[in-house]
Amino acid sequence: MLHYVDFNGLEVGDSLPSLTKDPITKVQLVRYAGASGDFNPLHTDDSVAQKGGLTGVIAQGILIMGFMGQAISGWVKTRDLKRFKVRFMGMTYPGDVITVKAVVKEKKESDEELFVICDTLAEDQNGKTKVSGEFEVLARTGV
Amino acid sequence: MADVSKVGLGLPPYVFVVERVKIKEFAEAIGEKKPVFLTKEAALAEGYLDIPCPPTFITLALQEFTGAYLKAFEALGVSLKNVLHGEEEYEYLDEIYAGDRLTCDMHFESIVEKKTKTGPMDLITLRTLFFNQEGKEVMRAKSLIIETQ
Repeated sequence: MLHYVDFNGLEVGDSLPSLTKDPITKVQLVRYAGASGDFNPLHTDDSVAQKGGLTGVIAQGILIMGFMGQAISGWVKTRDLKRFKVRFMGMTYPGDVITVKAVVKEKKESDEELFVICDTLAEDQNGKTKVSGEFEVLARTGV
Repeated sequence: MADVSKVGLGLPPYVFVVERVKIKEFAEAIGEKKPVFLTKEAALAEGYLDIPCPPTFITLALQEFTGAYLKAFEALGVSLKNVLHGEEEYEYLDEIYAGDRLTCDMHFESIVEKKTKTGPMDLITLRTLFFNQEGKEVMRAKSLIIETQ
């Protein structure tokens, strides 16, 4: 069984356990293109990406958002995830190693329920932020 | 630049089916190995009614298989080669499961022109509401698309 984070026990400023992904591969970009239906050649064909002035293919921003979703669904049951927002900050390349981090930003009560808002980001092996965002979860007791 | 006269309009509602095999394909592409997204048995064991939708799976309902983004760009007169994805936001209102049939209602919420050092850009906000087969609103998505010149 998975062990989710007890959001009731968290305080503002607490960090969640980070998730470090395997290096991104070109095959992964092709697989994600097939899965998502985003066949923009910037993500799958080096020659097209190079014509656009890049060194080669870049990862889909939404793939990195997917990594962040994977981290979140390890911290909380998806049914308790209420909101998730990201801003795409920079390009990610094959070989990059993405780590997803999150810190508790705010706790708020509404209708006797506790909601926890966290800042989150995905950074590469050099600590450069690629995607930043925030999410809000319902902190259920007894999870 | 984007056609501001289209603000408030949208695409005709379309249907997106949450295919079981697509959830698996999506999970495998990301490297998501949690059994709750891969087998119904694991999902039931966690108290779900079926395999739940992973947090960002809904992007599939906006991308090429449905053509929603591309149709929106066409309607707004936006060239695909000048487009960047700036932000994406999901509000989860109720659970979405494998097998659900979602009716997706995308409209063009706003277009804001912004002056930058490299020239003007349009900030285009697309808002999509998702209703399940019972007519219940289960999700809202907001996509901020940047059109440069």
